[in-house]
Amino acid sequence: MKHLLGFCLLLASAFPARPASDFVVPVEAHKLGNGLRVVLSKDSAAPVVSVYVIYDVGARSEERGRTGFAHLFEHMMFEGSVNAPKGTQDEVVEGNGGLLNGSTHPDFTEYYDVLPSNKLASALWLEADRMRDLVITAEKLQNQKEAVQQERRLNFDNQPYNTAISDVWPTLIFRNWQSSHSIIGSFEDLKAATLGDVSKFFKTYYAPNNAVLLIVGDIQVTETLKLVETYFGDIPAQPAPKRVDLTEPDFQAKEETYKDPLARVPGVVMGYPGPSRRSPDFYAIHMIDAILTAGDSSRFRMDLVKGKESAIDYEADLGWPFAGWLDYRDPEPYALFIKYKPNFTADQVIAQVQDEFTRLQSEPVSAAELQRVKTQMRASFLRDMQSSLSRAKALAQYEVADHDAGLINTEMERMLAVTPEQIQAAAKKYFNPRRRAVLKIQPAGEEGK
Amino acid sequence: MSSILRFLAFAAAMAACVAAQPVDRTKPPRTPPIPPYKLPPVSETTLRNGLKIVLVEDARYPLVTARLNFMAGSRFDPTELPGLAEAVASLLTEGTASRTARQFSEEVDAIGGSVGAAAGPDALTVAGNALSENTGKLLDLMADAALHAEFPAGEVDLYKRNRAESLKAERADPAFLAEEKRLRLIYGTTPYGHMTATLGSIAKLDAAKLAAYRDARLTPENATLTVLGRLPAHGELMKVITDRFAGWERRAAPAPGKIAPPPPRRQIVLVDRPGSVQADIHVARLAPPRNSPDFFPMLVASDILGAGAASRLFRDVRERDGYAYDAHTEYATQRDAAMLTAVTQVRNEVIEPALREVLAEVDGVFAKPIPPAELTHVKDYMCGMYVLRLETQEGIAAQLDMIQTLGLPKDYLETYTSKVRSVTAMQVQAAARRYLSTGLASIVVIGDASKIAEPLKKFGPVRVEAEK
Repeated sequence: MKHLLGFCLLLASAFPARPASDFVVPVEAHKLGNGLRVVLSKDSAAPVVSVYVIYDVGARSEERGRTGFAHLFEHMMFEGSVNAPKGTQDEVVEGNGGLLNGSTHPDFTEYYDVLPSNKLASALWLEADRMRDLVITAEKLQNQKEAVQQERRLNFDNQPYNTAISDVWPTLIFRNWQSSHSIIGSFEDLKAATLGDVSKFFKTYYAPNNAVLLIVGDIQVTETLKLVETYFGDIPAQPAPKRVDLTEPDFQAKEETYKDPLARVPGVVMGYPGPSRRSPDFYAIHMIDAILTAGDSSRFRMDLVKGKESAIDYEADLGWPFAGWLDYRDPEPYALFIKYKPNFTADQVIAQVQDEFTRLQSEPVSAAELQRVKTQMRASFLRDMQSSLSRAKALAQYEVADHDAGLINTEMERMLAVTPEQIQAAAKKYFNPRRRAVLKIQPAGEEGK
Repeated sequence: MSSILRFLAFAAAMAACVAAQPVDRTKPPRTPPIPPYKLPPVSETTLRNGLKIVLVEDARYPLVTARLNFMAGSRFDPTELPGLAEAVASLLTEGTASRTARQFSEEVDAIGGSVGAAAGPDALTVAGNALSENTGKLLDLMADAALHAEFPAGEVDLYKRNRAESLKAERADPAFLAEEKRLRLIYGTTPYGHMTATLGSIAKLDAAKLAAYRDARLTPENATLTVLGRLPAHGELMKVITDRFAGWERRAAPAPGKIAPPPPRRQIVLVDRPGSVQADIHVARLAPPRNSPDFFPMLVASDILGAGAASRLFRDVRERDGYAYDAHTEYATQRDAAMLTAVTQVRNEVIEPALREVLAEVDGVFAKPIPPAELTHVKDYMCGMYVLRLETQEGIAAQLDMIQTLGLPKDYLETYTSKVRSVTAMQVQAAARRYLSTGLASIVVIGDASKIAEPLKKFGPVRVEAEK
């Protein structure tokens, strides 16, 4: 029982005759009777397997008055299921020499186990048990409300910049509440969450037909499929969840200043509404991002950190801060965050960044620079693919967002085909100061600059 | 073939040929023991100038990773110039006799790689990677950085200005403040007692001091070059290495001084961070380094206490009591000393019960025998994580680099699993009794003194220090 047709086609077509790219990720996509999509990728490089379950629900699916709920629910998934009571997941995965975790994103929620490869069945058993029979009680809910609030204190309220970025920035770049509310949520909303909310969320979104199971690493394909059917095959499907409307009203440029009591140096966030996922402009803007920020010779480093000596450090991406180009789902911005030296004003730094976009609009990128950036991109893809977990994550994004895990082997071709003309055109279309949101973060107690 | 078609085809086939296996789903499945893992073969040689070469063929991906390790970390910083080693490391790639900083970084990016250097407590390591087709060019760039850095005045000045700002930003982070303080308390005035530069020491840096440090410590006799990946044929690779490194003049570096940390004693230091909404708790003690016979029993003790979600701190402080999101141990081993710390971050209101609980958990490791099931669990965890760490080239390179940095035996990786397996409950308890007792621990808390100083005093005298 082999379904290698898609795989063979990929082998023949991907990366024609280029050195160092004789590397193809094996992809086998299947679907169980209950709608669970299963993607296998066999690779015997190391005796390791990653089991990765992605659910097609995230913070942008939340309802008003329940901000932070998707993340709170993610915590509940570690509170035990009927055959694997609380503590069993940790005992079984770690006791088999593995690690486990989960995380919540704007548009999806992920859970994974990485184990020595002959321990695969343990992870499948656990993931299936909690997909089928999560145990939800008032005590567990209360305990996890505490844990989530503690997490908020640790990673947001006690860290410079993060409160501004998680709570204020979305209100500037988005107008649709589904996207503009805080992903980590408010303490009030978290406290208000009820057991009924948790049960309904589980039934609606944690159904096999709303998930993809990825198994990547040193596996035997036929045997693995049998195990998958054994553990997941009889989990009942549910009606497809209703999708929230993420349509953005017309963008309005906004600017705000946030006084941050924990920040020592000022920062600025800038963002521009972005293109559709996998549209031609999507690839061009990903390339622009690499020109600006990838590698030691990137323009931000050469021009801002070194030339003008204004920036201290920077981050940027399609979908920043909670997504990246790989899990980018429109509507999202291209956004960036720069920490800068206090002898500059925010407006000066904003003007310097805008000048970089102007340069991309007015001058074609040289062949040498573009070649360098593309080589970086190709190498960085290969480095990522060494880790079974990274491979699983990439496959999961292509399967959930595009219903085609095989894109992992063909998207690089589309990236590498971007021309200087396309880069110039995309820069003109997207990086217009009138279609820009700005958040200035100033250390509290200093004069606003 | 479209995805949908593939799915339909599979669903039909699945129904026909794969009947669900009868299994008992109420219990975890039985699986075979964790498989043994053998490193790829390692070949070692030494050039005439004393440079040690370690080559590891790992052909899984068309990539190459390299490390040039010098015994030249921050322990060799002059007392009046903390941060010198890290400054040398940062500036090695910012201009050489034949390349400007821009040329250097463009050439590195063009081979699909990166070259950068960093200084830890013991070693200064130049790390590089590239597409394997560019192995020769990678080694050329790494050699250029290590042998021919010029420390141009403009780049040095830029480094000084940027480092001053990044240091201010780092000082906003409670984890940074905690590490700085506990290094001082545990290692005292020894070279391991300082973490990084100060604004004052940054101001004193200049090209002459950087070059003098480089000339004294970045010598072939003090270095090991490790190259790992899909490598060219051995002879071809050795020719490239010889071309780049054999002309390097043979020189020895002064031997490191002895590290004699002060005897452990109970002390409580609160670093005041006004406005903190939580208290960062660090309970630290001097511990045996990795080459000590007590190391493996202590590593097991440390992991029982605070590695992973089934560990005692995580299970009790986070899951049972809900005091914290994170609770773990850190076992930081330098070449000649080590420190074990229990770490958690709790909301201000629960500082007293949370600290009481952390201290009880730490002392609990030796107060009662380790239950056999818990010992087996933690050993399986450690042996599995060992395999997981070696999945990527960077992972293997980091382990090989650690062997050089800490002066570990060549068979360290090969024997790691059996050493973990052979640790007994008695050994864990004995080592924990000797090294963990919180009666001699340094307790560092980062938080808002106006909110947490009073409850802390219940644990003994508290020294409150202003954040610098």
